[in-house]
This record gives sequence, C-alpha cells and structure tokens, in this order.
Amino acid sequence: MGFGWIPGTLKFGIGADDMLKVIGAVLILFSGTMFGFYQAALLSRRPRQIRQFIQALQRLETEIVYGLTPLTIAFRKLADQLPHPAAGLFRRAGEALAASTDRSAGDIWRQAAEEQWKYTALKSGEKQILLQLGHTLGRSDREDQVKHLRLAVSQLQAEEGAALEEQKRYESMWKSLGVLMGALVVILMY
Amino acid sequence: MNVDVNAIFQIAGIGIIIAMIHTVLKQMGKEDMAHWVTVIGFVVVLFMVVSLLDSLFKEIKTIFLFQ
Repeated sequence: MGFGWIPGTLKFGIGADDMLKVIGAVLILFSGTMFGFYQAALLSRRPRQIRQFIQALQRLETEIVYGLTPLTIAFRKLADQLPHPAAGLFRRAGEALAASTDRSAGDIWRQAAEEQWKYTALKSGEKQILLQLGHTLGRSDREDQVKHLRLAVSQLQAEEGAALEEQKRYESMWKSLGVLMGALVVILMY
Repeated sequence: MNVDVNAIFQIAGIGIIIAMIHTVLKQMGKEDMAHWVTVIGFVVVLFMVVSLLDSLFKEIKTIFLFQ
C-alpha cells in the first residue's frame, strides 16, 4: 500500500511491489516526456526542411536555365549537394528516371515523393505543392518550367512562414504537455 | 484507512495536473481543447468519487440491515 509509513510498525519501508510500481511510473513518465519532445522536434524540423526544399528548387532552376542539364543528371547533382531528407527524394527520383524508359517524369517524381515522405517532417500542404510541380517537370520548355518552379518556391515560402508561426506557438506547449500527460497517467494508475 | 488517504491524494494530484494542462493549453490559444481536458478530468474524478460512495453505502447497508 503505497510507500511511506507502515501503520503499526513505526518505520519507513518500500516493498518489492512498490519498487515495481515506481519503476513503471518512471518509465511512463519518461516515455511521456520523450513523446512531447519528439512532437516539439517535428515542429522545429518542418520549417528547416521546407527551406531545404526551397533551396533545392532554386538550384534545380539554375540547372535547367543556365546548365541545360537533363533531369536525371540534375537530380543526381542535387542529391549530392543537399542534406538528408531532400537528398533522398532527389536520389530516388534520379535513379528511377535513369532506370525507366516509358514513364513520365511527373509519375516518377510522385512515386519518389510518396516513398520518401515518411522520412520528412512535412505536412500535406508542402506535399501538394511538390506533386503539382512534378506534373510540369521535364514536360515543357525552359520558360514554362521556370515559371512553375518559381510558383512552387513562392508557395513553399508561404508555407515556411506558417510553419515558423506554428513552431513558435506550439513547441514549448508540446514540451510541457508531454511531461504533464505522463504524470497524469502515472497518477491515474498508481 | 490507508486506502482512503491514497484515494484523496490521487484525486488531488489529478486536479493539479489537469489544472496545469488547462493553463498550458489556454496560454497557447487552444481554449476549446483546454475545456475538453477539464471536462474529462472532472468525469474521471467523478467516477472515482461515485465508486467510493458506492462502497460507503454498501458498508452502511451491512451495518444497519444485518445482511
């Protein structure tokens, strides 16, 4: 029965039963805390990754306009230059594009995006923007593709602003909410 | 006796934690969610109190009705 004073014995004691309870409580509290920190980390990762994608699209624009690079090679170059989550998408798309002969670039881009999506912290808004862009990649002349790339970049910048706002508002909330939720579960079950 | 004291501490702890969650959520502008958390906490505590009252009435019955 709980730890502390045991009636009739005049001494403090912690039985094996209570030890087990305390260990369980600590584990639940720890996992609640980690959950909160994980959510906060997702929130702080999202604007950074959006910025990476903006950079990637600007580099792609350079490759298309000034380098006249074919998409396969451009994707591979981008994959080598970019940091982790964005690089995976471009590498996957570049490999698939090099391997296939009969599928459209937009189709391959969509498939690569679906596959790599779980490694990013991005939400469906950014996904829609990138998929929209995929429809026009490698399909029309330079000017048209540049227009679509610029459009995607400006849309991503709007998303980045929203993501930064969200991060400022909810990051600290998730950090304390995780601990509190763990504490609540512990008290409910103790 | 010991069990009853534990139950009271438990209810007090739930109250404190719920109040803290309410404050955090309200500060971050999620007031609807804060109210839901409070309502859920209230229901949980009510459930515990009802079960304690139930055992109290059963005890009274056994004392006065000589079952």
